Amino acid sequence: MYRLALRLKIGENHLRDLMDWLEEISLRDGLPVHQILGNGAVGDVESDPRLGRADKLKRIKEQVRRLRFPRLAQTEDSIRARIQELKLQPEIRLTVPAGLEGGRLRIEFDVSSEEELQRLITKLADLRGKEAVREIFDLLAGRNPAGE
Amino acid sequence: MKNFVPEEIVVERGSEGSLIYRNLRLALPQVPFRFVEPDGQSPWDGVLREPPAKGRGSSRRVEEISAANGNGDFGAAKKKLLLTRHKGEFLKKCPGSEGQVCCNYYVVNFASNCSMDCSYCYLQEYLAHNPALKVFSNVDDLMTEAGDLLTKHPRFLFRIGTGEITDSLALEPYIGFAREVVPFFAQQPNVLLELKTKSDCVEGLVGLDPKERVVVSWSMNPQRVIDADEHGTASLEERLRAARRCQDAGYRLGFHFDPMIEYPGWEDDYRRVVEEIFATVDWRRISWLSLGVLRQTPGLKRTMRERFPRTELLTGEQVPCPDGKLRYFQPLRVEMYRKMVAWIRRDAPMVKIYLCMESKEVWERVFGYAPSCEKELGNQLVNFGF
Repeated sequence: MYRLALRLKIGENHLRDLMDWLEEISLRDGLPVHQILGNGAVGDVESDPRLGRADKLKRIKEQVRRLRFPRLAQTEDSIRARIQELKLQPEIRLTVPAGLEGGRLRIEFDVSSEEELQRLITKLADLRGKEAVREIFDLLAGRNPAGE
Repeated sequence: MKNFVPEEIVVERGSEGSLIYRNLRLALPQVPFRFVEPDGQSPWDGVLREPPAKGRGSSRRVEEISAANGNGDFGAAKKKLLLTRHKGEFLKKCPGSEGQVCCNYYVVNFASNCSMDCSYCYLQEYLAHNPALKVFSNVDDLMTEAGDLLTKHPRFLFRIGTGEITDSLALEPYIGFAREVVPFFAQQPNVLLELKTKSDCVEGLVGLDPKERVVVSWSMNPQRVIDADEHGTASLEERLRAARRCQDAGYRLGFHFDPMIEYPGWEDDYRRVVEEIFATVDWRRISWLSLGVLRQTPGLKRTMRERFPRTELLTGEQVPCPDGKLRYFQPLRVEMYRKMVAWIRRDAPMVKIYLCMESKEVWERVFGYAPSCEKELGNQLVNFGF
């Protein structure tokens, strides 16, 4: 951890998050911290020559977060997959709150003309009744869609 | 359950004529008593750090001494008992939690801090600067204040609890507080008194007539959680046996699954606890049952890490919520609540269940509705109680 912190020049807040998460994973899984950090995903990011320092830190933090919150990450992945399935125009953005708290789906779009507004409204109206949309709300409500 | 034997009982002058003092003397003859002036000598000599004196002749009051003691002394503070007079108001509205559905509850603080030591206890943070284990001797003032409030609002039905900043019954064998107040509250037409506990100290209650005005309630968890994180409390079996005794003595009952802990196998453990409750007591004697998941502020989390470094409670998938507390992420805790409600409903279809410190969104997802305001939930609970 010390070596990683030095190499990536990790700031205090990021370091505190990482250390808390690693300590909690260690306690939960009965593994030493160096073994958690030696996990393939973290090691691959660290040695990837295409990534800069900031990107490495971002990705390593995400990997450790996924290890610390595996079911939350899995639920977020499932929701993300459903959103991609909907194949929305880039002008429409569907997002969920951090940590899924509140359990609401946020829909944002921006338009530059009335025609475009009409087109996006039609596209949004098409979402009604779609299986993927129902499944997003199921996931947000703590109900697992069939097969998950 | 572990017996409470303090190292010392410190009595603030003015309290030695009280019934609580007499009861302590009788129940704990082997414990040394020391007397201090209300605004003078420290009750914590030799146990806790003292604040720097302000100058020659300055007095060190109980509050200052308590304030000088951080979290490290929280456990030490439980080893001495201070008997003192309460100077402010006894009755307060439960503060609830910002943005969460509240149940319109009043609290009476007859004591402060607790002889037991649960690793998740919010008092570790709430009383961090005032950790002394105190019992207030002026019970007559408490009853006068409560009587005035109840008389002033005769058409309002009050729910009043004594277990907010202490356990309602853990000290009962030594202080006899409940023995004193139950007959008083039993005579009041517009109140339900809730005695909330993790103990089995009900001996003093069973000879009294609660007249349907007193609910004795237990905080419930599987034995695995009790063993790991509810230090010094009664076992699950002892709690259930005590609940049955109270039911047989005419008390109404309450159960609080709070905090619920999520871990591999939690479903089997909690379902079994639900089944054991309904195999032991008559659900028609249960006034209410509450559910609430483990929650803590970041500050409490730090304290828990310091005081209980091996606890696995902090390894759950908790995220920050709008009120600043960490809880299991919403879909997970909604699923936990739904399962619990289904297990409870199977055996007790009509029992009143409510969520403690949860948002309207969570209520809606669990029950299909949320109370429109705190008065609505408070009224529902009080009506189920009466």
